[in-house]
Amino acid sequence: MDSLDEKSNLSLFGLLKEEIPSNVASCPPPPIALSPTFSPRRRLPPLFGVRGKVSTSPSLPEFAGKISTSPSLPEFAVTPRSVDFNAWFQDVIDKAELTDDGPVKGTMIFEPYGYEIWEAIQNYLNVKFKKIRHRNMYLPQLIPIKFIEKEASHIEGFKPELAIVTRGGGKELDEPLAVRPTSETIVSYYFNRWIHSYRDLPLMINQWVNVTRWEKRTKPFLRNLEFLWQENHTAHATFEEAEKKALQMINLYKDFAYEQIALPVITGRKSEQETFAGATCTYTIEAMMGDKRALQSGTSHNLGQKFSRPFKTRFMKKNGDMEHVWQTSSAVSSRLIGGIIMTHGDDTGLMLPPRIAPIQVVIVPIWNKSYEETSLLEAATTVENILTEAGIRVELDKWDQETPGWKFNFWEMKGVPLRLEIGPHDVTNKSVVVSRRNVPGKAGKEFGVSMEASTLVNYVKSRLEEIQDVLLQRAISFRDSNIVDVSSYGELKEAIAQGKWARGPWSASAAEELKVKKETSATLRCFPFEQPEGDKKCFMTGKPAEEVAIFAKSH
Amino acid sequence: MATKSSNVATKPTKPAKKKEVKKETKLGMAVKKDDNFGEWYSEVVVNSEMIEYYDISGCYILRPQAISIWETLQAFFDPEIKKMGIKNAYFPLFVTENVLQKEKDHIEGFAPEVAWVTKSGKSDLEVPIAIRPTSETVMYPYFAKWIRGHRDLPLKLNQWCNVVRWEFSNPTPFIRSREFLWQEGHTAFATKEEADQEVLEILELYRRVYEEYLAIPVIKGKKSELEKFAGGLYTTSVEAFIPHTGRGIQGATSHCLGQNFAKMFQINFEDDKGGKGMVWQNSWAYSTRTIGVMVMVHGDDKGLVLPPKVASVQVVVIPVPYKDADTTAIKAACESTANELNAAGMRADLDTRENYSPGWKYSHWEMKGVPLRIEIGPRDLEKSQARIVRRDNGAKIDVPMAELVEKVQEILMSIQENLFNIAKEKRDACIEVVHTWDEFMAALNNKKLILAPWCDEEEVEKDVKARTKADQGAAKTLCSPFDQPELPSGTVCFASGKPAKKWTYWGRSY
Repeated sequence: MDSLDEKSNLSLFGLLKEEIPSNVASCPPPPIALSPTFSPRRRLPPLFGVRGKVSTSPSLPEFAGKISTSPSLPEFAVTPRSVDFNAWFQDVIDKAELTDDGPVKGTMIFEPYGYEIWEAIQNYLNVKFKKIRHRNMYLPQLIPIKFIEKEASHIEGFKPELAIVTRGGGKELDEPLAVRPTSETIVSYYFNRWIHSYRDLPLMINQWVNVTRWEKRTKPFLRNLEFLWQENHTAHATFEEAEKKALQMINLYKDFAYEQIALPVITGRKSEQETFAGATCTYTIEAMMGDKRALQSGTSHNLGQKFSRPFKTRFMKKNGDMEHVWQTSSAVSSRLIGGIIMTHGDDTGLMLPPRIAPIQVVIVPIWNKSYEETSLLEAATTVENILTEAGIRVELDKWDQETPGWKFNFWEMKGVPLRLEIGPHDVTNKSVVVSRRNVPGKAGKEFGVSMEASTLVNYVKSRLEEIQDVLLQRAISFRDSNIVDVSSYGELKEAIAQGKWARGPWSASAAEELKVKKETSATLRCFPFEQPEGDKKCFMTGKPAEEVAIFAKSH
Repeated sequence: MATKSSNVATKPTKPAKKKEVKKETKLGMAVKKDDNFGEWYSEVVVNSEMIEYYDISGCYILRPQAISIWETLQAFFDPEIKKMGIKNAYFPLFVTENVLQKEKDHIEGFAPEVAWVTKSGKSDLEVPIAIRPTSETVMYPYFAKWIRGHRDLPLKLNQWCNVVRWEFSNPTPFIRSREFLWQEGHTAFATKEEADQEVLEILELYRRVYEEYLAIPVIKGKKSELEKFAGGLYTTSVEAFIPHTGRGIQGATSHCLGQNFAKMFQINFEDDKGGKGMVWQNSWAYSTRTIGVMVMVHGDDKGLVLPPKVASVQVVVIPVPYKDADTTAIKAACESTANELNAAGMRADLDTRENYSPGWKYSHWEMKGVPLRIEIGPRDLEKSQARIVRRDNGAKIDVPMAELVEKVQEILMSIQENLFNIAKEKRDACIEVVHTWDEFMAALNNKKLILAPWCDEEEVEKDVKARTKADQGAAKTLCSPFDQPELPSGTVCFASGKPAKKWTYWGRSY
């Protein structure tokens, strides 16, 4: 055990022959019989080759031998983030088995590990929505084009991206149907049928569905032909109530981002240019990714009466007057998973915030042929059960074909927050070694943590909470150190050229906003809710400005 | 549509603002279940707020009342399959034509129903793209890619999604719609034994969905060659029966696909001895159809009847203020009752709206199928009791407040059981054992669920179909039950006169 501890700070790229402790490298598959219920999970190497390079010899025993003799990198190694951010991103989602490319270009498959993250997002938000009495429902996926055309700016915004069904069941359809890009129009149709009186308001619904946007340039999780999301839609009696709802939802998203996925987002209002097609006002949460680009991570729209007017959704007020309802909509999508990857990941691969991690703790038994493996496995299983019963998501890596060093690197790449190592020594001492994903090497290790149930559970739980917090704090300081306050266009250009975000007073026109975009590729991300005090002068025009705005390049 | 007055319970309350009530909402059922089942069904699903019709024929809006039932079934099924080591994933909605057509028998079954995306924005797509009618052909190329060695097996995936099947036959909400929600499980094993075993484990979960949650008796069995899943090896199903129409309805299916798809998609693996193997596959699904079957089986002339286990509101508490009564005290008692029930883990709702009379509310919540209603009026308050009214049989029971929680819990359980027992009695009363063609035809015309000895020949089933063809469809096999009655030697097939091989259920079906 001890000799391994010294070496287990090896990064993925330190896995060279001379650095592998001999007792690990020579560790043969233990002769123990696996329990009959043991079913191997699918995992990348060596079960299949690196994608795109089909392994010609997937034979396992050979591979197990190879790791200690071949100086080449393990097949799950990712391009370091510091070398090439985009290549790293693609490698991580490939090798951590989050997604695969779908059969139609620009679509993607959520593999179980990726889908589990989405389920964790759903589980949290679904409860929150129900608490504020949004009810889940399901609206059809196919929407007559004539519905979408009812709101002029809506159709203008979405038309280029619509997938249109014209044939079904072997016949041409009477009217073309759009595959839902978002559901405001069909929701408005529904609201029209169900809202008659002030007593029917507020009406608040949500749905968890797939949506389609026929984008030309796609990127997994960030822009796909089809993605998963939830969409809230509400109708209210007054503008003020709708406004309150729109703000409530963006704040709910912000809390979720901070607390669950450790994304320190900035909440704010979009400029008119960037407002949702069909909204009077759009609120957003903007996150800074590891490459300092902004990622719009969730939006909430005050739709005013823009949809209720064309759909003629009116209600009778208490005094008997008729009025159009005031609507909102809000959504977050599977794009959040992209945000998690790009915020927390590092050169080694994925790093998942514990609250959202499908596997929070991986247990790696350290085989040693001179030792009785059965008792080692028994101890590991006991630990697994203790943690599982405490509600912690655990994976015991009983795999007998790879070395512990290989497993350490593999699970680090998969972003598992905590690793428990149990060797023969530890079994004797009734203790485990705990390694944190977020602190590489020996510094992140703690030895001799007691196996005693309550001690271990408390230890693991507080470590997970601590990691959650550290990830958030780290992201906050990264964000704050990369936002530059600017007071002139020149300063903005300089900040953007350095890849940073620029924050400065802004009251210029849409044309000037466009000019910034053309000249610097940066867009106005939002007018943040948090505003500095004092008089401001627009950095572009020198005229008085009410607010500061944030500009940044975005994903 | 009739107003509530025709079918309100006999409580002596008079609707106070009858005129306004009429204006507010249409309540009550215009059609009786016995008179016109089809119209009754359409009315129930709309009036109980499960379905909203939509501009596109065959597509329906599933309202919160329907989705909450779907979510309850998911909350049971999803953890169960996860316990079996099945993982959720999500595969794309869109399929290219060449992928879709890889398996010939399979696509012959689905091709006529596919909806095609032919345009994006203003421009035509180079090749049209299909919307999944089911995902075998979407998933299996990835099975081929992901499975290499025996250690990659079993590969067990499931997804919760929508599918689109552009059918032209008579659409019916939940039962036959052009878009529906379902789960589809797809698994691959090294051996046939493992696949066989899983088929039955999943089928058992489907039985539990119907019997334990929806209180609907189902028959487990195997489909005939003609009725099995196109391209598969064999199909098992749970079959329900709708006495009113005398039709069987396939509740859910669990298929063993054998190695047919594995051959087409080349899903091979290297076994532990270094030899080549080909996987054995299963696929299995249940859909929002479950909800439709529930409506058909339990609903009555007052509307929906929900089994307590799937009811989003299990108990509704309604204040019954007479003239001059202490409305504040009554309201307070109602509130604390609802709170107590919720605290005890039941799903209780409170209807204190003042613009509706108690009578109107009774009809309203009966229409929505809420299993129990609690009424609290001045006299109840005096006696420190509440009146409980059961949705399933209309029974009224006065219960002391002190025992309320316990009693409500008990009654909910008894309603769940009662609904199942009654449905089973009705179903069983429809089962008729026949031995001859004449008996068969008589039973078919009497809307029976027919159990007959059969020679198990495809040609004979085709022949039966041809001979029974009518406006309301032809008779076909529903399933051969796993639970086979004894088949004395010398028994002959009711249709062909050849030696019978098994007992099989027959009937018209949805």
